[in-house]
Amino acid sequence: MTDKNNQELWRWTESNWANPDINFKKAKYITAGIDVGSVSSQAVVMADGEMLAYGNMRTGSDSPNSARNALNFALKELGADESIINYCIGTGYGRVNVPMADRTLTEIACHARGANYIYGSEVRTVLDVGGQDIKAIKCDEKGKVSNFLMNDKCAAGTGRGMEVFSDLVGVSINEVGDRSLDVEKEPEPVSSTCVVYAKTEATGLLRAGWSTEQVLAAYCRAMAGRIFELIEKIGIEKGFAVTGGMAKNRGVMERLMPMVKLDFMKTKWDTQLAGAAGAALFGNALCKKGKGRKK
Amino acid sequence: MAIEQFQHWYENRHIYQKDWKKRTGGKMIGFFCTYVPEEIYYAFDVLPVRILGSHELQDVTEPHIFAMFCPFCRDVLAQGLKGKYNYLDGITIGQSCIHLRQAYTSWDQHLNPGWSHYLPMPSHVQSPSSVPFLKGEFELLIKKLETLTGKTITDADLEKGIEIMNQVRQTMKKIYEFRKQENPPITGEEAMYMTCSQFFTDAREWLPVAKQVLKELETRKLDRDPGKRLMLVGSENDDIAFINMVEHLGETEAVGATIVIEEHCTTTRYFWDETQEKTDDPLKAIAARYVARTPCPSKDWPKRTRLDRILKFAKDFNVDGAIVLQQKFCDPHEADIPFVKQALEKAGVPTYFLEFDVTTPVGPFSIRVEAFLETLETEDDLFD
Repeated sequence: MTDKNNQELWRWTESNWANPDINFKKAKYITAGIDVGSVSSQAVVMADGEMLAYGNMRTGSDSPNSARNALNFALKELGADESIINYCIGTGYGRVNVPMADRTLTEIACHARGANYIYGSEVRTVLDVGGQDIKAIKCDEKGKVSNFLMNDKCAAGTGRGMEVFSDLVGVSINEVGDRSLDVEKEPEPVSSTCVVYAKTEATGLLRAGWSTEQVLAAYCRAMAGRIFELIEKIGIEKGFAVTGGMAKNRGVMERLMPMVKLDFMKTKWDTQLAGAAGAALFGNALCKKGKGRKK
Repeated sequence: MAIEQFQHWYENRHIYQKDWKKRTGGKMIGFFCTYVPEEIYYAFDVLPVRILGSHELQDVTEPHIFAMFCPFCRDVLAQGLKGKYNYLDGITIGQSCIHLRQAYTSWDQHLNPGWSHYLPMPSHVQSPSSVPFLKGEFELLIKKLETLTGKTITDADLEKGIEIMNQVRQTMKKIYEFRKQENPPITGEEAMYMTCSQFFTDAREWLPVAKQVLKELETRKLDRDPGKRLMLVGSENDDIAFINMVEHLGETEAVGATIVIEEHCTTTRYFWDETQEKTDDPLKAIAARYVARTPCPSKDWPKRTRLDRILKFAKDFNVDGAIVLQQKFCDPHEADIPFVKQALEKAGVPTYFLEFDVTTPVGPFSIRVEAFLETLETEDDLFD
């Protein structure tokens, strides 16, 4: 299904940005982090460890191209090309297919480091709700991982699940969260263990006369429950930050909050950037210690 | 290199076994669980071969096994239902868990194996009455094997069986000693081929090769960075694809690892404990061995005796971390895992849990293992 602008409903808005306050030509090290996830790809370019530019796009069927497109998207906004980059780290599911990467690191390490940057050093528990997996990560004041858990072999409660759902009920993914909160009474949550069953249940609810908003509420609540199971398992510590696309969905986050019983940390940055930001920061640290690209 | 023979046997188990029958004219019995007293089978000159899964997807077991039984028991039954073991003269199991017993009973019911024997291995092995009970059951097994072979056996035959199995166990332990080295000359993958190939072959043909391997290992050097030293603990596991993935991570990623020890029924739980030789009562000695061996968690209560063994392995093999794994729905291990994790972590060994299925999701698992390895040794250069 598409909206009035012929945009598919599940397709979230791609974005890029360049920092007008930094003159990158004066920077000592320009580093890039490229996070090729299963659903989205981000490139973050940093100047001496400060956010210089980013590009956030949907991952295509080809990982090397997705990496290149995201980086070009960021550089385009900056008006520069790849040659300015001193060091590049690839992360995410497609990390080994980032052609310009000097090395790779897991997205677990990068999300913890990135959350430390975008939310601050008080972060101790990071919840990353990505396209196809959920990660609960514990870290220290530097953003070093001490423990982590991931969901197993199931996309329920992930971004991809939400995309499927938005298409089913005919609501743009950007509006799902807000509209799910616009209800007085919610049906019981739908299946939290299977996207396909959840879809079947939702169809049943619509037929039974529940409104679109109420069905969205039932799904957002199920997702919050599914996500909570994982963070409960790892143990929640104060300094709770959410990264990934789902952090932007108020319908899920506001239902998750009372379960977690902690205030969520706030950030001015796009939460999808955490992994790529962490990778760029690792690159900056390596350059500073003389462990950058070998000439 | 003799060491390559183990992989060859592992990959060609059916060819070997069919050939063995043709060459020797002997009887061959498939067993489902390591609680089967192989000593007694060797005493009768009957070859016991363990039936493991093939790690291939299948669609034949659904009518026979409850959906929430483990993938291993389904994979085992599938081998029978697909006719891969039609050459066997019979099947047997020593009671461990109901999942695998269901694979055995379905096989027995639907495949007409000719000869079959259910051995009621006691579950409460910590009870002093377990040894006499099991010895009594062994006497019944011997009668049943007499009907299969038309032979009777003496204590000398039992001693012969004990000697064969003890030689296997001693040789495996000697090979495992090499895994304690800083850069082990044998990988975890090769060690898994070594232990599993013995399940599939005549121990008397496996032993000369294993002894040759022992000699080779004295001078063998592997041109690889061993990376982190990992232990695997948990359910039945012969998941070569997983071990291979872990041991090759270092070739493409910043972190790598070698499996240096496992606590599985395909490895140490199977072979670590020997049977006492030359006693007045060899049958009782065999019973005592199976009662006292490192138990399957289905039998390890009220005291969890496995934990001491696991901790000793972690120390002796100098492990950096442990991957605690469970075949999906494997209840005995599931109940034990919190205690295993707690004991290891208290001893300073970080752990990571993975749930296994018939096939390995290599991509998702490699991210998890890699991230676990990153937590074992943070590169300080990555942080300001």
